[in-house]
Amino acid sequence: MEFTTYGGDAYMAVDKERPGKDIYALIHHPTVPLRNDVYKSLRGRPVANLVNPLDRGLMTLDLQGGRKQRLVTIFERPTGGALFGPDGKVHPRVNTNKLRQNVVLSALKAIAAVHKRGFTHRSIKPTNLYFAAPDGDEICLGECYSSPAGYKQPFALEPLKLAVADETARGEGDLESDFYQLGATLQCLYFGEALWQGKDRSSLLMARVNQGSFWALAGGREIPGALGNLIRGLMADEEEERWNAEDILDWFEGVGKPKRTSMKAWSMNRPTNFKGVAYVDRRLLADAFARDPREAANFLKGLDFPAWVQLSFRDEILTERLESILNVVSGGGLGGVRPDDYKMVTRVCMFLHPNGPVHFKGHSFFLDGLPSALADAFAREDRDLIGVILDLFDEKFLNALSEVCSERNERFLSQVRMLRPVMIHGSSKQLGRGMERVLYALNPILPCVSQRFSNVWIGSIKQMMRAVDRLAEHGPLKNILLDRHIAAFCTAHGSDLERDFSKIAAAQNDPARLNGLTSEFFGMLQRRFKLEPLHHMTEKLVEGLGQSVKAIKNKKRRERVAALLEKVKKSGDVYKLTTELNISRIQVEDSREFAQARTAIMKLDREKARLTRKIQPGDPEARAKGLRGSRWVAFAVMVMIGFMTFMPA
Amino acid sequence: MAKKKKQATPMRMRRRMNQRQEMSAFGPLLVAGIIVIAIINLSAAGLAVVGLAPTIVLGLTGKGQYKSERLQCVGFMNFAGVLPFVGKVIDTPRDLVYIITDPINLATMFGASAIGYALVHVGPMVAAMILQSLSQERIKNINQQRQALIELWGAEVLGDKDAPDQEPGWAQGRR
Repeated sequence: MEFTTYGGDAYMAVDKERPGKDIYALIHHPTVPLRNDVYKSLRGRPVANLVNPLDRGLMTLDLQGGRKQRLVTIFERPTGGALFGPDGKVHPRVNTNKLRQNVVLSALKAIAAVHKRGFTHRSIKPTNLYFAAPDGDEICLGECYSSPAGYKQPFALEPLKLAVADETARGEGDLESDFYQLGATLQCLYFGEALWQGKDRSSLLMARVNQGSFWALAGGREIPGALGNLIRGLMADEEEERWNAEDILDWFEGVGKPKRTSMKAWSMNRPTNFKGVAYVDRRLLADAFARDPREAANFLKGLDFPAWVQLSFRDEILTERLESILNVVSGGGLGGVRPDDYKMVTRVCMFLHPNGPVHFKGHSFFLDGLPSALADAFAREDRDLIGVILDLFDEKFLNALSEVCSERNERFLSQVRMLRPVMIHGSSKQLGRGMERVLYALNPILPCVSQRFSNVWIGSIKQMMRAVDRLAEHGPLKNILLDRHIAAFCTAHGSDLERDFSKIAAAQNDPARLNGLTSEFFGMLQRRFKLEPLHHMTEKLVEGLGQSVKAIKNKKRRERVAALLEKVKKSGDVYKLTTELNISRIQVEDSREFAQARTAIMKLDREKARLTRKIQPGDPEARAKGLRGSRWVAFAVMVMIGFMTFMPA
Repeated sequence: MAKKKKQATPMRMRRRMNQRQEMSAFGPLLVAGIIVIAIINLSAAGLAVVGLAPTIVLGLTGKGQYKSERLQCVGFMNFAGVLPFVGKVIDTPRDLVYIITDPINLATMFGASAIGYALVHVGPMVAAMILQSLSQERIKNINQQRQALIELWGAEVLGDKDAPDQEPGWAQGRR
């Protein structure tokens, strides 16, 4: 269906409450983060000329691979069809006049309203523009909430600055990028061609940098008249020169001044030869370095860097501080490329293209695009990319980059600051931390992507608890909390749970203890989130505690605990497992008392052995007691005789 | 080969001193007692010296453990044998010589001390018999306690040397 996006598959839907209302349903992919702020903004107050979300909720659907629970969003459905169909053909109703009169105005209304709400659209493309009705001229911009900003937007349809980044790591961008996308869209619609297709990235980049995006995409073809002026203005590569809403309104009134694009700011004073190509534009050179960082490292090490900077960038002064931050070490030796060399290349790329992405180890990221890049890496299980992002989480390195680009890219430092509390978890091997934690901390809206939950949508700890309860109905809960995704999801969405996971990780080789800790953890969550009785989970946990109960040595205690467990099992209250029946404490108490009982048995055995032998009159005890007794007898006899002697009467 | 003289350690010196004190305590007490009796009645003192001769001999020569118990046992019985004659001597002091030379009287006094000696020997025997019967009762009790513990904790509580730690590792603060 034409409304399908990278974030979800679109399906026809019928509104039973309001018959006649045109809607469609988008079934979201769990691995693609949503733009939740966009949903919240549009849900209550829809924007005109935009496909607005109406509602969303979890549904269990029959999909490929069985029944699965998915998030489904219902959108208003424009019924006129896409301006540029999935078949690669322009809608027959599209013509220059409509483009000039209706499309621009409708799109401008939507873009301006969206910008007023504080976010960008970043998904404007010919295939995402629709006629609102089959017979009207009103145009709607497609939805922009189901995937991150600029997510997998074609290279040609992204402004140059953002386009050089990886297609999943372009970040939020800025307001001007929407206008570029509108310009590129209008150009495609004017020529009736999918201009973003069939072009090699590096040659298109070269063309866009050298000739400007307008000419590069048009392939040298001119768009005559006012529309041409508008599109040229919108597609200006320099943000300062790009037309904005005000300029478009001026253009409508016929007072628009054509703006020219200049490429002077990015030109070097002397071309640099890298891999046989002479680069004059610093962005192109940065991109070339980024595509082959090994070769770039060798190139830079073989260079007299200060002299090269002096000759190539005469307008710039390479201060000692900047030189020390860039730290380009000449002379490679025989050791090949060292890990630090990649960072050196990144620093130089940042110096060359300060407001561009971070080019690191063959990838290019905007820091605010890291959440979506990481989500994509986890979805594809791209361990290399996850490793690259982890290597990027080096505070010293990021600080150096922010110093390099501080003059031209003020946002970079604030983005580093935002990353700081998250990236400390990245390198940790601890359960509940690591890159999984970074994933969920950077993408709070992302559901838990653990394999255990492939059939359910887990957006919160409450949902997770309910899902675990359902899972418990059919299978064991053994080791569920040792799953790194589940642990990371819990620690990212709950507070102060790291310590619990440390304990759980420490008990992973002790099944009885692990079971006890799992019960404690789920009980605590059930209490904290005031959840209803979770019967299946309780049943499984109680079953799991069977081993621990069997291990209790005191017969009476064992019977009492078993009876209590049976009672708790029926109640479905996991919390009671820990409060009324603290199995860990009971185990410790039992062990301690068992040790005392063993000591008592040993003492009794010793005592018995002592008492069993024949007691002789010569034994010290018998002798002492016998003599003491005899003494008393003698004393009594003496007293009696004395009495009889002196008191005869 | 000449016997090596034992070195005088502080412990040995203290023990020797205690022995000397025990030995010397009886003598002065005896002398003081006889003097006191002599002041009250000279004939009674004479009777005491003769009649309590076994006790005096034991007091002065007795050694080893339970000396005081033995002495008291013999002393009390000896005194019991002497007591009937003390009354006679106090009433008629002139009969002292007659009393102490009469073999029947002497046999009575010394016989009483012999009974004391007999008690010294018989007492431990009787005590051993009583203790033996008490032990049987105690063994019964121990068996009951032991059985109760085994029923509560199972046969495992009897344990063996190769049994694992009494408390799990984690409970002892180990991972």
